Amino acid sequence: MDSDRIAEIIIAEIRSTVPELEAQPIARADSMADLGVDSIERSEIILATLEAIGLKVPMVQLHGPRNIGELADLLHAKSKA
Amino acid sequence: MTRAVGIEAMNVYGGMACLDVKELCLHRGLDMPRFENLLVQEKTVALPYEDPVTFAVNAARPLIDALAPEERARIEMVVTCTESGIDFGKSLSTYVHAHLDLPSNCRLFEIKQACYSGTAGLQMAVNFLLAQTSPGAKALVVATDISRFALADAGAVEEWAYSEPSSGAGAVAMLVSDTPHVLRIDAGAYGNHAFEVMDTCRPGPDTEAGDADLSLMAYLDCCEGAFRDYSRRVENADFRESFGQLCFHTPFGGMVKGAHRHLMRRLYKAPPKEIEADFQSRLAPSLAFGKRVGNTAGGSVFVALAGMLETVDIDAPMRIGMFSYGSGCCSEFYSGVVTPESGERLRAMRIPQALDRRHRLTIAEYETLLRGESVVRFGTKDAELNHQIVPDAWPVDAAGDRLVLDAVVGYHRKYIWI
Repeated sequence: MDSDRIAEIIIAEIRSTVPELEAQPIARADSMADLGVDSIERSEIILATLEAIGLKVPMVQLHGPRNIGELADLLHAKSKA
Repeated sequence: MTRAVGIEAMNVYGGMACLDVKELCLHRGLDMPRFENLLVQEKTVALPYEDPVTFAVNAARPLIDALAPEERARIEMVVTCTESGIDFGKSLSTYVHAHLDLPSNCRLFEIKQACYSGTAGLQMAVNFLLAQTSPGAKALVVATDISRFALADAGAVEEWAYSEPSSGAGAVAMLVSDTPHVLRIDAGAYGNHAFEVMDTCRPGPDTEAGDADLSLMAYLDCCEGAFRDYSRRVENADFRESFGQLCFHTPFGGMVKGAHRHLMRRLYKAPPKEIEADFQSRLAPSLAFGKRVGNTAGGSVFVALAGMLETVDIDAPMRIGMFSYGSGCCSEFYSGVVTPESGERLRAMRIPQALDRRHRLTIAEYETLLRGESVVRFGTKDAELNHQIVPDAWPVDAAGDRLVLDAVVGYHRKYIWI
């Protein structure tokens, strides 16, 4: 699964966790915080994405990405490791 | 069978003043749906003449007053647990010991590990008793913390964001002994999870810093890791089945909800409806006091325990699960048994009534306190406290049973009973 596919999964999880964003265009360069996703929702989205791609890593290892694209790249790198 | 040991008596003290958190959020222009997710209604605000010592002593005094002289004479250890220290060397426990007039053959010390400190203190006391080095001894463990937004840098309001409405103040005093009327600890039933992380910290005597996302992630990792370590030690432990109620460290209710949801998904792939129903029945009662005092740091998991005991009708012995997390970080999942007597003893402390008596600060009064002019900073030498900074907060019906800070002479804090 490549980084773009992982980004699609993240975006789908954002839409299902925060229904108000369902109709809004969301791209790799967007940050969840700027989209109005709060910290609890952000952790929910990351957990759901981990489940969807079958990756088991500590949450704290996923801290740092500034936008959806960077998060997808990090998850992609972790899933290859 | 292992010896009975645990909490004999417990009290929560929520200070002399509070603030309506919804009013604060409206005043700050914060997003209201997000505010609802905090699950906080009021927060205790420490007045300038309140400090971690006054909170600790005021929490403990009713427990000590209720003891017979021979029982009081068996208190052989006083542990204060805090991240709100007032000195780098001298521990709060010395002041607490003095103002409660406790025996001189006492071991006094302080524990620091962010919000985990209270559990570390309780476990120290429990293990002191289990070791039987002084049969029949009692220990006083007090978790006491305040947050002082008054001491932030100018213009920091925006940075505080949601930490300002959730940060509170309070102390929990626990008498730990071999007659555990409130909570009998399951000796040996615990699990730890710890690693180095820079999620929240107090880098200077009067400053706090943190990363909300990283802290939440560490809390979630720890909740799962500590429970898995618990189930490695305790045969047939089951998060869903083994505990009638759960009491978690509560920075704000929403974080507890997130951690519970995470665990229920990870362990059982539980659907959202089941998770919500389980949260409402096994965790929501524990929020009863936390939503009135805000985050009390080291005491928070015991504020949750007290809230549960206040609100749940316990008709038979029940095992409860406790989860404590302290930034930086260390965590522990442990358990104990409560009985109908636990609820009766806790309710006799009349904690809700004491919280109702707090002065409700207006936003104008709160902002006066925020200017911080009357606050005694860490390391202050020589000061007189202004007891009339918020005139309406000073009790008119004072009965001589509440401690407040009066002055600092040299570096020595002087307190008075009012």
